[in-house]
Amino acid sequence: MSNPLSVLIVEDEALLAVELGFLVREAGCVEVGHAADSAVAVQMAAQLKPDIALVDVHLADGPTGVDAAREIAAHHGAMVLFMTANVKRLPEDLAGACGVIGKPYTDRAVRRALIYLVGCLERGCADTHPPPGLTLSDSHAARWGVHHLEKTA
Amino acid sequence: MIERRDTFRADSLLTPRAGIDDPFAAAVHATRMSMIIADAQAPDMPIVFANDAFLALSGYARDEVLGRNCRFLQGPDTDPEMARRLAQAVVEGAPINVDILNYSKDGKPFWNALQISPVRNAEGLLVYYIGSQIDVTARKNAEDRLVRDREGLVTVATEQTRAAEQALAERTALLHEVDHRVKNNLQLIGSLLVLQTRRTEDLQTRIALESMLSRVSAIATVHRRLFQSRDLERFDVAAFVRDLVGDVSSSHDKVAIDLDLQSIEIDAAQAAPLALAVNELLDNAFAHGLNERRAGKLSVRVQRQNGHYLIAICDGGPGLPPSGQFEPGFGLTIVGLLAQQLRAELRFEPTNPGVRAILELPVNA
Repeated sequence: MSNPLSVLIVEDEALLAVELGFLVREAGCVEVGHAADSAVAVQMAAQLKPDIALVDVHLADGPTGVDAAREIAAHHGAMVLFMTANVKRLPEDLAGACGVIGKPYTDRAVRRALIYLVGCLERGCADTHPPPGLTLSDSHAARWGVHHLEKTA
Repeated sequence: MIERRDTFRADSLLTPRAGIDDPFAAAVHATRMSMIIADAQAPDMPIVFANDAFLALSGYARDEVLGRNCRFLQGPDTDPEMARRLAQAVVEGAPINVDILNYSKDGKPFWNALQISPVRNAEGLLVYYIGSQIDVTARKNAEDRLVRDREGLVTVATEQTRAAEQALAERTALLHEVDHRVKNNLQLIGSLLVLQTRRTEDLQTRIALESMLSRVSAIATVHRRLFQSRDLERFDVAAFVRDLVGDVSSSHDKVAIDLDLQSIEIDAAQAAPLALAVNELLDNAFAHGLNERRAGKLSVRVQRQNGHYLIAICDGGPGLPPSGQFEPGFGLTIVGLLAQQLRAELRFEPTNPGVRAILELPVNA
């Protein structure tokens, strides 16, 4: 593997953020920052140019995660992955995010999802369907050719 | 409708001695049906005859009525459209029936079911209009009341529907809020357990913490599943098992897992205990049913059979001790308790090699 991918964690629950940091490292990535509200998140994304941003919907300044994610994905080049207990409230296009992991997630599911997404990013395509717990956005599923893979049982 | 030959009798009504010799004229005078006759040839068609019933209805004296056009009965709330239709029919010489709001002399409004018929002479010339009036105020008021009542009912129903919709929206919002908090709290509990496990070096403590994490995760998965489904009252056991196995199996890449899952649904109230029981059995299979290289084969079956839901987890490990007796650990003690709660039967069968754990629930438990 070349340079490890950099990850920005956008999560207002301190304990969840710390645990996500462990999982990011275990997936072979590096955590470059942690933001608890949307303004800091967008600012850090602009400065640090992370490869991946893990974004919660409810942040310290309210349900601002969707707007922050849209901004980060559109203007700061990061691939956004939502991590939220409110999957149903996300917009249809997932605000430009690559996908979503529903809370409550397990540490295994997050690690697995990160490894899968890193693989997709590095290859530019998917080699399998997404692992349990990870739902891809339509745009990223199409970009990575997930629909052309054979249906697995 | 008065026939043409009767026009001469209508003439006879107008003489001062009208009714004395003529039973027809006498009848018109005496009937309780209000009647007037207007001269169609005179300017502005004045009333030339009014019977007693008309005077009683309108409250006017005969000399106040004769010589006037009968539009003096109209008043402030008379529908202009009705008045226009009436005037048009008179101009066209056509008969007409209308319900029109009229006013008696004392200013009291009444609903007048008015019929006007043109009367022609032998040459076909329009000579009179004969009008009859019936006071239908009581009927009209009843109709209006009905309409008002119906409108009132519609208003009440609309209001109640709106209130019900608002209550439903509030309930849904509250449900989402509670759902959100429960999920976040389960996430927090899970993360706490993971964080403490990371800091723990003692193997036994780690195993205990990991078991607790696995149980919390099973409950969390139930919660995620319940709120994903359309029906909050039912719980899809097969979908849950697929989620659970998918999650656990990622850390056992040398284990082949065979799933045979029929879709069965149970009451949501049973979801957590059943999920915990299945989770323990699955953990147990991973703990005891694999070989020394942590490799092996597991199968999980969910099906409906003979009025029961059957959940079977089969491993290929060393199997039960020859006696068939074993001391259950904490995990299996939990399963035993949960099975009792679910009124399910729990049994272990040797499969040589390995063990099949079977949980059998009554369908309508």
